[in-house]
Amino acid sequence: MIRFDQVGKRYANGHVGLHELSFQVEAGEFLFITGHSGAGKSTLLRLLLAMERPTSGKVLLAGQDLSTITTAEIPFLRRQIGVVFQNHQLLFDRSVFDNVALPLRIQGLSREEVAQRVDAALRRVSLRDRAEDFPNDLSTGQQQRVGIARAVVHQPALLLADEPTGNLDPRLAAEIMNVFEDINALGTTVLVASHDLALIARMRHRMLTLQRGRLIGDGAAE
Amino acid sequence: MSAQRPAAGRGATRRAAPVAAKPARRGPSLASQVHSWLDSHRASLRDSLGRLIQQPFGSFFTCLVMGIALCLPMGLALLLDNVERLGGTWQHATRISVFLDLSVSDAEGQALRDDIARLPQVREAQWIGREQALLDFQAVSGLAEALRELPDNPLPGGVLVTPASVDKAELEALRQQLADLPGVELAQLDLLWVERLGAILALGDRFLFGVSVLLVLTLLLVIGNTIRLHIENRRQEIEVIKLVGGTDGYVRRPFLYLGALYGLGAGLLAWAVLAFGLAWLNASVLRLSGLYGSDFGLTGVPLADGLYLVLGALLLGYVGAWLAVARHLRELAPR
Repeated sequence: MIRFDQVGKRYANGHVGLHELSFQVEAGEFLFITGHSGAGKSTLLRLLLAMERPTSGKVLLAGQDLSTITTAEIPFLRRQIGVVFQNHQLLFDRSVFDNVALPLRIQGLSREEVAQRVDAALRRVSLRDRAEDFPNDLSTGQQQRVGIARAVVHQPALLLADEPTGNLDPRLAAEIMNVFEDINALGTTVLVASHDLALIARMRHRMLTLQRGRLIGDGAAE
Repeated sequence: MSAQRPAAGRGATRRAAPVAAKPARRGPSLASQVHSWLDSHRASLRDSLGRLIQQPFGSFFTCLVMGIALCLPMGLALLLDNVERLGGTWQHATRISVFLDLSVSDAEGQALRDDIARLPQVREAQWIGREQALLDFQAVSGLAEALRELPDNPLPGGVLVTPASVDKAELEALRQQLADLPGVELAQLDLLWVERLGAILALGDRFLFGVSVLLVLTLLLVIGNTIRLHIENRRQEIEVIKLVGGTDGYVRRPFLYLGALYGLGAGLLAWAVLAFGLAWLNASVLRLSGLYGSDFGLTGVPLADGLYLVLGALLLGYVGAWLAVARHLRELAPR
């Protein structure tokens, strides 16, 4: 599903984001990426979203080389990926329904199909009865769940989450992780960047550990 | 949803389902895609209209600024049209005096007048016999006594020709054609004032073109800046849209509608201002032309011109928005 092959990323200011990073992720896997701030977790996710290109090596996603992807292909690549942000990035002038429906509308699905899929996604995150509310009417945990619903409503093959529990208390963080597990159970590959080692240890999934852009650990979390 | 779940059986390898194993989703049908595309456009238009209505004063004044900028070249063009119309009335008073040879009899002169009147370039031809010419000359010259002493009438017969066209080249061609007719001694046309008026109108046209170019650029800048502010206000929305797979076209669409709506508003306002302004000015023009024994008055904004104005403004708004979005989108959002 995902292959990083000697991937390096050096920024214009000389900062090295990633250094000869190589690993592979199978389809349907649940993977944590951990490390301190500046370790390269976000850079890795940005490479997968084609927000940046590697300066060396290859990033392959479902066989497609992201280092050579054209600008016109990027939106269509992103339609195969769901993204969850630490600050959930909801649009506060739109209802919960409209926030979740956004990827489907972009893809040009019919109104009926949008309604059906949004309903299913909100049911999955237990927010079906809040569809008409606005994000400001929801708690932080609920807002994050709306962000997750938006990330999975288009049934992506890959779900990326960048510090999705960073702003949540431990109970809410565990809730969010359970939602990710449910999504993973349906066959979606899930990559979660987090530095919450206690939470990761409880989940017992594969974990990549980064330090200053280098891979220093790859194995099951303990 | 529970925070406490059994950890058993969470191994990724156990549940991992390859992407290929997922049920293949059929893409939406063509009819459904067209429907969604129209839905998307409707939503963008509604959204843009809603944003304009949410800030009625700001939107109105933006449209007003653009409308006033549009009024200047359009008003000048209408004024020039009116001057040309007035000039045209004068030009129709242009006549070619055709003097015949003294040997040409009245009957031959009348026949020549008939021939001239049949020419397509001629609106009217009036025969003036030798006797009539002498009487007219005596009346206007104050030399009646002296002229009566002459043994013969020295004046030739003539044809006073009113051309159908007021074009300088065509007038000159007609004059030459008349001069070449048998029995014609001289065909005379005074083109100087026609040339002067033409030069003034040409200068006006050139000035109008320059002003129009400058104001079109101003309008593009105004609309571009307005759209830039809208883009800044929606920065987060744009980023999210691009991250969930929105194409540049999808991101651009509401801003293009916004630009076109600003243009539409500006065009309608400009039309209204011009119609009111010309009607207001016309009262004074009518009074002035009445003093000169004329019924000349300004024409308002013709329907076709008004519609062109609105359409042009709408297009300007659209183009301005397109340029602004193209310029700023790359800076704002991830690719």
